[in-house]
Amino acid sequence: MDPSLENKTDNNAQAADTKVMDRRNFGKKILAAGFISSAVLLGQTKQAEAWMDGTFSQRKDLADAIRSLKKTYSDIDPYPHKFNDALVKNRLRDIDFIAGLGLDKENVEHYVYTLGYLINKYLKDGVEMGGKDIALWGMFERTSCSYQLYEHITIKEFERSFPCPFKPMLENLKKDPGTLKIQWKDVCNKWCIPVWNGFAVRAGVKLKVKTGETCTVNVI
Amino acid sequence: MTDISRRSFTKKSVLLSCLAALAPATPAMAMFDKVQKDAFLARDDLADALKSMYMTYDATYPYDHKFNESLVKDQLRNLEFSITKGINDKQIDHYIMTNEPILKRIKELVEKEGSEKALVELFDDDPCSYQLFENITVAEGKRSFPCPYKSNLEHCKKWLKTFTIEWSDVCNKWCIPIWKRSADIIGIEIEVKTGETCSVCLKNSEENKS
Repeated sequence: MDPSLENKTDNNAQAADTKVMDRRNFGKKILAAGFISSAVLLGQTKQAEAWMDGTFSQRKDLADAIRSLKKTYSDIDPYPHKFNDALVKNRLRDIDFIAGLGLDKENVEHYVYTLGYLINKYLKDGVEMGGKDIALWGMFERTSCSYQLYEHITIKEFERSFPCPFKPMLENLKKDPGTLKIQWKDVCNKWCIPVWNGFAVRAGVKLKVKTGETCTVNVI
Repeated sequence: MTDISRRSFTKKSVLLSCLAALAPATPAMAMFDKVQKDAFLARDDLADALKSMYMTYDATYPYDHKFNESLVKDQLRNLEFSITKGINDKQIDHYIMTNEPILKRIKELVEKEGSEKALVELFDDDPCSYQLFENITVAEGKRSFPCPYKSNLEHCKKWLKTFTIEWSDVCNKWCIPIWKRSADIIGIEIEVKTGETCSVCLKNSEENKS
C-alpha cells in the first residue's frame, strides 16, 4: 500500500461557518462558479467532454445490454430483480467478508486509493476553481460506479440523494440464502460513509451524510 | 358439384359452430392477457434502468463503457485487495460459504434433471452471471462468454494506474477456483478454459468431446 495514503475519514463532518450573503453577492458568486465550472470542465479534461457524448446510437453492443435488461426485469422471483442486483450483492458479500476479518478500515482506504486516482487528478482542481458542488458531481452522477449502483440520483445544488440499494437486497439475502452476518448499519458505517468521506478528503471538501432508505449527501 | 339442401347446410353449420365453441381456446385466449401477465411489462421501474443504460453506453472515452462496468471493476478491486493482503483463499472460502445453500439446491435439481441443469442455474438464469457476462453462448454441456475482466483490467491499469494484479490472477485466483468449488458442491465435474472467451464444460459431455 502506498505509504502516502492517509486515513482521514471523518464520520462527524463539521458544519462550515455560515455567512449571511446578500442577494447581489450571492448572484455574482453563482455566475462566477458556473462560468468557471464550465471552463474548467471543458478545458481541463477530455473525459468531461466525452461523457454522454452522443455516441450512444453508434454503439454496436447495445443488443447485449438490452438482453440483460430484459432478462433482469423479467425476473421477479423471489423479488423483482434490478440492473444493480449483481453489483449490490457483490458489494455486500465483500463487506461481510472484510468485516469478519476486521479489515474494513484498510479495505476502505484501498478502495479510495485505487479508485480515487481520478479524483486526485481532476476533481480537486475542479472544486478549487469551480465550487464544491463539483465534488458531488464527480462522486455521483459523473461516475458509472454510482449511476450503475443507485437506481436514480436526485440532484440539487450541494446535495445528492438516492434510494439505498443495500437495505432491500440485504433483507432478501438474509432470508435466502441467509449466510451474511452484517447488519444494514455496517454497510453505512463500515462502507458508504467512510468511502464518501475518503473521496471528499481527496477532493478537498467536507460532507454531511444522512443515511436511511434514502441517503442524502451534502457538501458543506 | 354436389347440391346441398338448405337443411343439410344449416345442420352442418350449427354443428361446426358448436364444435368451435367447445374446442380448446388456449392459444387464442392466451393472446388476450399476454400484456397483463408479462412480468417485464408489469414493471414500473424500467425508466431508471433505461436511464442508467443510456448514461453507460453514451460514455466512450477513454473506452466504451458497458453495463457490467462497475461490477467488474468492483470484483477486480476486491481481488486486488485480497491478494495484496494474502487473504485470497479466505475470500474464496467466504464466497463459497455464502453461496452454499444455493449450490446445494442446485445439486438437488441436478439429481432430478441432469447435469445440464447446473449450467442453467450457474449461468443462464443467475443474475450474477448474466449481469456480469456480456453474453452467454449456450450449447449442450457448455457455456462460453467473453471474459469481462481482461479489457477492464487493462483499462484500470492504464487509466487508474493503481492496480497491480495480472489477468492470470483473475483466472487462477478467482474464476477457476470459484467455478470448480461450486461444481464440487453441486456434484458435477467441469472443465474450464480461460481466455478472451472463457468456456465452462461438463466433463464428458458430447459438446466437450467435439
